[in-house]
Amino acid sequence: MTTTRFVQLLDLAAGLVLVTSFAVLWLRRLVTVTWVIAVQGMALAAVALVIGVYEHETELALIALMVFALRGLVLPGLILRAVRAGDEHREVESLINVPAALLAASGLTLVAYATTRDVVALSSTPQVRALPLGIAVMLIGMLLIVTRRKAVLQIMGVLMVDNGIALVMFLGTSGVPLAVELGIASDVLLAMFILQVLTARIRTKFGGTDLDQLRELRD
Amino acid sequence: MIGGALALAAGAALFAIAVGAVLPVRQRVVWVGLFTALCAGAGGVAAAAVLAGGNTFTADFPDLFPLGGVRIEFDALSAIFVLATAVVAVPAAIYGIGYSARGPSSRPAQVAWPLLVWGVMMVPAAGNVTGLIAFWELMALSSFVLVLAEHHHNPEARTAAQWYASMTHLSLLTIVLALAVLAHQAGGDSFTAIRAGTDHIGPTTATVVFLLSLVGFGAKAGVAPLHVWLPRAHPEAPSHVSALMSGAMVALGVYGLIRVGWDLLGGGPTWWGATVLAVGLVSAMFGILHALISSDLKRLLAYSTTENMGLVFIGVGAAGMFASSGNQPLASVALAASMLLVVNHAAFKGLLFLGAGSILSATGTRDLDRLGGLARRMPVTAATFAVGSLAIAALPPLNGFVSEWLLLQSLVHSLPSNAAVVAVAMPVAVAVVALTGGLAAATFVKAFGTTFLALPRTVEADQAHESPRTMQIGLIALAGVCVALALAPTALAAPLQRVSLAVGGLADGRPIHTNGVYLQLSGIEAGLSPLLLATGLAVMMVAVLVVVRRGRLRRTVRDIPAWGCGRTVQTARMEYTATSFAEPLQRVFDDVLHPEIDIDVDHRTESRHYVQAIRYRMHIRDGFEHRLYLPVLSVVRRWGDGARRVQNGSIHRYLAYSLITLIVVLVVSR
Repeated sequence: MTTTRFVQLLDLAAGLVLVTSFAVLWLRRLVTVTWVIAVQGMALAAVALVIGVYEHETELALIALMVFALRGLVLPGLILRAVRAGDEHREVESLINVPAALLAASGLTLVAYATTRDVVALSSTPQVRALPLGIAVMLIGMLLIVTRRKAVLQIMGVLMVDNGIALVMFLGTSGVPLAVELGIASDVLLAMFILQVLTARIRTKFGGTDLDQLRELRD
Repeated sequence: MIGGALALAAGAALFAIAVGAVLPVRQRVVWVGLFTALCAGAGGVAAAAVLAGGNTFTADFPDLFPLGGVRIEFDALSAIFVLATAVVAVPAAIYGIGYSARGPSSRPAQVAWPLLVWGVMMVPAAGNVTGLIAFWELMALSSFVLVLAEHHHNPEARTAAQWYASMTHLSLLTIVLALAVLAHQAGGDSFTAIRAGTDHIGPTTATVVFLLSLVGFGAKAGVAPLHVWLPRAHPEAPSHVSALMSGAMVALGVYGLIRVGWDLLGGGPTWWGATVLAVGLVSAMFGILHALISSDLKRLLAYSTTENMGLVFIGVGAAGMFASSGNQPLASVALAASMLLVVNHAAFKGLLFLGAGSILSATGTRDLDRLGGLARRMPVTAATFAVGSLAIAALPPLNGFVSEWLLLQSLVHSLPSNAAVVAVAMPVAVAVVALTGGLAAATFVKAFGTTFLALPRTVEADQAHESPRTMQIGLIALAGVCVALALAPTALAAPLQRVSLAVGGLADGRPIHTNGVYLQLSGIEAGLSPLLLATGLAVMMVAVLVVVRRGRLRRTVRDIPAWGCGRTVQTARMEYTATSFAEPLQRVFDDVLHPEIDIDVDHRTESRHYVQAIRYRMHIRDGFEHRLYLPVLSVVRRWGDGARRVQNGSIHRYLAYSLITLIVVLVVSR
């Protein structure tokens, strides 16, 4: 693989991760959003695969396969089940409207680029130049958690934050040991299970997972 | 022997805690009571051995806590306070068996009770800073649990517990600060090391440590203006716990002050003593005035505790002033007076609280205006309460008289003095002590009279029965201690000398000479023989009785109804109540107390000249609380309301906080 091709592919895959996170903010149907999250996971796997192939690291390619399975298939599948289980409106309910959310996300992306300037200046490899994308995805994930009303979307937000962290990890370190990635993956899987069980219990107990209504539980 | 007794006390306390946590309720109450009594008794034996033998016991447990060990150092000053604790704790624990069976028998209460007794006994025994703080906190926490023990029936207990918790935390905070500074500057954690290192401490640091410890230990002693928790928490705790808290726990404030101010720091300038004296004067006056007008029996006793701690502070402060102006013998007498008062106070205040507990459990009320006529229904409680009332009013021949006499002697004989501050302060102190004594007598005439004499004012008081046997044993034991202390204070002369020798910064003399019957003060032309006094009084009373009986025998006696001015029946509504008894004195002190009085008069509809009902409501605010605490509380509340706006329960807002924090951290740390 030539360097030019590598840079193109890498930027394409990493860019796709960011674009999907914008898409999550933009789209309204829960099922579609879940599919987009799946695409984001696959794009993340692609990033790992491209780096692995370019640097001839079999271990990284293996990790890419695992990321594909977990973040591209298993976790979105779990979320999809949660979405289908709830017979609430299958639409996103947000505290701020879509243009405002997109504007905020753009602002966060700017923040990500501005704050990582010094890190990027340290080295000129294409991986490091794409690093701000990971931070941006992380911040947008948190924005999703803050602004959405349904618990399912908070789960997606957590997953997106984790995707962002994973992206920073792949780009910044050029491959982590398999053991570390395995540990992180199992953590995420566990967190997903717990969140899903919690959501199901909130739903059976209170008949909905709107966080604004949970506020009345106080006092 | 001393070590063995202390180990036995610890073992008994542990066993009592274990059975308190495990056994079913009926056996739990009995075994906890017995083993707590054993724990207190063993501690008392250790204290008596130290006071009689004069040797100090030390032991080291260097690895007890991760950061510092605990050292036990049991000297005469520790022993006199442990003795006071044992005096009240043994009868209170036995009394608690009967009392808890009908009251606080829950597991937490039964576990906290032996913990409290053991903690109170171990605070004076601690020989290093870590140990003192550890036992202090053990004592504070277990007493907090016990204040809350009856909160199910009594919502007031929750407010009381809040006040108690905040004041105890203030106290702990200042004590830890004071001791940490002291240990750091002196270069050692154990008291021995601190005493050796006092030369390195500058006068400013010493003053800071002294003032901090005055606040911390003063709050525990319940002296004004740090007394606010005391009239709330002591009434709400179960009565045997109130007895221990009021009789022994508050006295540890005095212990701490003497230990830090005059033992570890070795004394200071005259104004240290003068400050303690001033605090004592204010507390004594304030406490007895509020006790006088209180119509809640246990609240009255709690305010009287503030008064008695005030008297002890007067003694300690006077001792400090005498010591720094070079009059060591007089300082010894003043110190001996306050130590004797601590032991006496433990006995009679414990007795009175136990008596109040019997009344409370027999009638279900502590309101003096709803009692009356209990003397015939509860003879044992009445007789023992009478002994306690006589003792606390400092009337001869009971024990309160001896300590008050000693205190007055030391204050009176300070004149003529060459130090101006002594010459000004002592006459004032004498006047306050005298006035306090008078008001105390009026207070306890009211307390005893409205409770036990006259006709019962309510059905509950009419149907009261004497308490169970265990409670009576506790009452009689404490009354016996009061009488013994009254007849033979000479037995305490040698121990008091050892105490005054133990406090190097205060006194070095021998305060009291005795030949077994007669007390002779050192350096003062004054003496007293309590035994002869009591015998004399008894002989006179018998003589009067004989003369009266003779006179009656000689004449023929006819029983005829007296002329009642047209009044044919005497009902309870015609009697003086506690409020009306105190009313004249309340008028005298109107300017100090500022009572809020409402009188509503309802007239009959037919004529304005006939009154249907008169309602009299009086409320007396605690002046210190109103002017000092409420402003602070309102500022804190405003802060709290501000925090509520930040913390409003919206999950989204909390999540937004973390997002904003993350962005700020990213931007700042870039």
